[in-house]
Amino acid sequence: MTGITKGFFGALANDGVDFDLQWGEVHALLGENGAGKSTLCSILAGLYHPDGGEININGRPVELRSPHAALEHGVGMVYQHFRLVDRFTVAENIALGHPDATFLSRSKDLEKQVEHLSSKYNMPVPADAGVWQLSVGEEQRVEILKLLHRGVQILILDEPTAVLTPQEARNLFRTIRSMAEEGRAIIFVSHKLDEVMEVSDRVTVLRDGKKVGTLPTSEADPASLARMMVGRDLEMPARREGVPGEPVLTVSGLTADGDRGFEAVRNVDLEVRAGQIMGVAGVSGNGQRELAEALTGLRPVKAGQVFLGGVDITRSSVLDRIKLGLGFVPEDRLGTGLAKGLPLAKNLSLKSYRAPPLSTGPVISKRAVDQRADELIQRFDIRGTRPGLPVSLLSGGNLQRAILAREISGGPKAMVAAAPTRGLDVAATEAIRTLLLEERDKGAAILMISEDLEEVLALSDEIVVLYEGRIIGRLRPDQADPEVMGLMMAGREVDLS
Amino acid sequence: MSFTIGTREILAEPRPLPSKTVRYLVPVLSLIVGLMIGAVILLASGHDPIAAYKEVANRGFLGELPMIGTLVIATPLILTGLAAVVAFRMKIWNIGAEGQLIIGAVAASGVGLALGEHLPGWIVIVLSLLAGVAGGAFWAALAALPRAYLNTDEVISTLMLNFVALSIMNYLIFSSVSFWRDAERLTFPSGRFIADTAFLPRFWGRLHIGIFIAIGAAVLLWWILRSTKWGFEIEVTGDSGRAAAYAGIGVNRKIVSVLVVSGGLAGLAGGLEIGGVMHNLDPRALSLGVGFTGIVVAAVARLSPIGVILVAILVAGLNNSGVGLQTMGIPDDIVLLLEGIFFLCVVGGEWFLRNTIRIGVAGQPVGERSVP
Repeated sequence: MTGITKGFFGALANDGVDFDLQWGEVHALLGENGAGKSTLCSILAGLYHPDGGEININGRPVELRSPHAALEHGVGMVYQHFRLVDRFTVAENIALGHPDATFLSRSKDLEKQVEHLSSKYNMPVPADAGVWQLSVGEEQRVEILKLLHRGVQILILDEPTAVLTPQEARNLFRTIRSMAEEGRAIIFVSHKLDEVMEVSDRVTVLRDGKKVGTLPTSEADPASLARMMVGRDLEMPARREGVPGEPVLTVSGLTADGDRGFEAVRNVDLEVRAGQIMGVAGVSGNGQRELAEALTGLRPVKAGQVFLGGVDITRSSVLDRIKLGLGFVPEDRLGTGLAKGLPLAKNLSLKSYRAPPLSTGPVISKRAVDQRADELIQRFDIRGTRPGLPVSLLSGGNLQRAILAREISGGPKAMVAAAPTRGLDVAATEAIRTLLLEERDKGAAILMISEDLEEVLALSDEIVVLYEGRIIGRLRPDQADPEVMGLMMAGREVDLS
Repeated sequence: MSFTIGTREILAEPRPLPSKTVRYLVPVLSLIVGLMIGAVILLASGHDPIAAYKEVANRGFLGELPMIGTLVIATPLILTGLAAVVAFRMKIWNIGAEGQLIIGAVAASGVGLALGEHLPGWIVIVLSLLAGVAGGAFWAALAALPRAYLNTDEVISTLMLNFVALSIMNYLIFSSVSFWRDAERLTFPSGRFIADTAFLPRFWGRLHIGIFIAIGAAVLLWWILRSTKWGFEIEVTGDSGRAAAYAGIGVNRKIVSVLVVSGGLAGLAGGLEIGGVMHNLDPRALSLGVGFTGIVVAAVARLSPIGVILVAILVAGLNNSGVGLQTMGIPDDIVLLLEGIFFLCVVGGEWFLRNTIRIGVAGQPVGERSVP
């Protein structure tokens, strides 16, 4: 790809980007959110048409006018948001859109082909299961198998690990390597330095739509890549001890059912004090989401009690909890934390529109909503916005800034923050962590649920480890070496003394 | 998406947010395309399209009598259109405006008959219109409560309640000697007439004040959706139910209130038909299908309350000119076909709001040029 240029709203998402990919290599595309990685890949996958520049495959210029045309040239992309038909089985999804597939394709033959592919690449999926029954990691495997089944030679993976557990990510890396060894070319989009170092042969770094450079991974080190990506040296907030005060959020014997009916949170006791960050570590799927929802009123409590500032909120509505000063930064930003089709200003007033100055009686003042939004946009440095545009067009880091801006400006007594920096680039991660620490220092009690061990260690004043819905260990950050944490997250009880 | 015509290649790609010009231009251009397709069909069936469109203009819109007729037809259509708008904005699919209109008419005529002789006219008018609203709201609530608290599908329940409402009205007039029925007319059963003091005032031929009530309701709804907490909550809930629950909005209560308001608007349409046009409950004359046409009106108006006024008048004008077209020898089926094509074009034109089209020379990179 040479000189690729593409603009949106008058801003260039790609500005004269040159990119070369060799057969048999894993080429990482590294950059912060909004650096133009996804745009570049979407152009190669035929979804967008470049305003300028050209694409050559095997030395011949090609026109990739649609995802279909790209597939015919052997280029396929796994998007961040999967495009599978929930009601169909795995095999049917894989056959869907395949040129040889007919209306009456024998499903048994199909399932056999799928099983063959999935064992060859070590990507176990149940071929006859419906997609709605699969986990996110399995769905991703189906997407990859679908492309392999179509004979794709150039495979683009757009932030594939954002939705995976560390375990699943490791399996994916093995699959990626084996595909490259067969001679396929793989573009691996990420902003996680460790992953890029682990899986790629070469790295191309993008910043603000421009290429910063391409280099072999063996000649790169995380620090220099981070500098290329951000354009400056990073400083992670130095850990300062919090000054814990009175207990604010007290949970005793909390038990709640998961979506499938069994107990996802079991007999959890917690006490989060003012000015304290309590980190909840654990591998995803061990009751984190259910715990957050039960605390914030989105999931019924089966047994146990929750107190906020001395008030029993076990059976309180979501609204009553908000009014009592419980903030919530949910794991699912677009769709739960933000209404994705609404503009930023309205999303920023999602919790404050009920009272003056934003509304008087039943009437909302549009001017007050906009004014408040302007204040928050400035104060929290939310970028890339134009009034009136749906918030879904913002980058991940700015989405999270918007949620935190809203929750923090409500002056919360306590806050539940789930996966606060997941999927964010280095600069946004730093900003979000700083905000959480500032909020703690102002006296908020923060329960931070995170699968990112490094984050838990960096921010928490106290750590609990969740395993199968239960708290399996409690410790201070200085007691938490990776081995201890790893054992606990795997379900072992550890004697710390 | 792309395809090639000769040496030209036509490409489409998603457009994140359409500009104002595009938003207004696309429906107008779509309608013109619809008119052209309609002309081809008229030609193919052996009719003169220009004469036919002239007839539509003359019979539906131009002049005093056509306009009066059109506005009388438009009045209930605006209200059932609004009923669809308020529910569809929250992605609650109320398909039951027809039944809600009927129960509204039953309630309004019942109150008119019971009080018409005893109270001053204007009090009867107000009470009977309120009864219409209450009747429609009650009928919608029958679907709303199970939707909110038992998660039954409102499409099925509101649709089925249409048939129940129709059967109730038929029973009251055809199959029983009810309070509503004129007991003296046996061969052609029909409803008793309300006292003429309780008729809605007319101000222009047979055009009654209902048109102002309908337009007023549209403006009020526009303001409510745009500027109140209730409207904001509908917007949030319609965009994402989970985000609404997260923000502390009681989604179940919201569903009930929205469906009740939607039903109330449809019921008001029934009340206005009784007070302004029919003056009795008559299953053969109660404009059947207005509830369903309201859904089309709302869709074509892209769920804009103000747009509903314009689209309802347009649709009413087409209906009003149907008789004229038939006297020209154009069969009713062709008229319905034409209406269908116009709506299809306008609704289909939506696609151009979500995508930009670029035209380039095949085999060469495409430049920045774009047309709406």
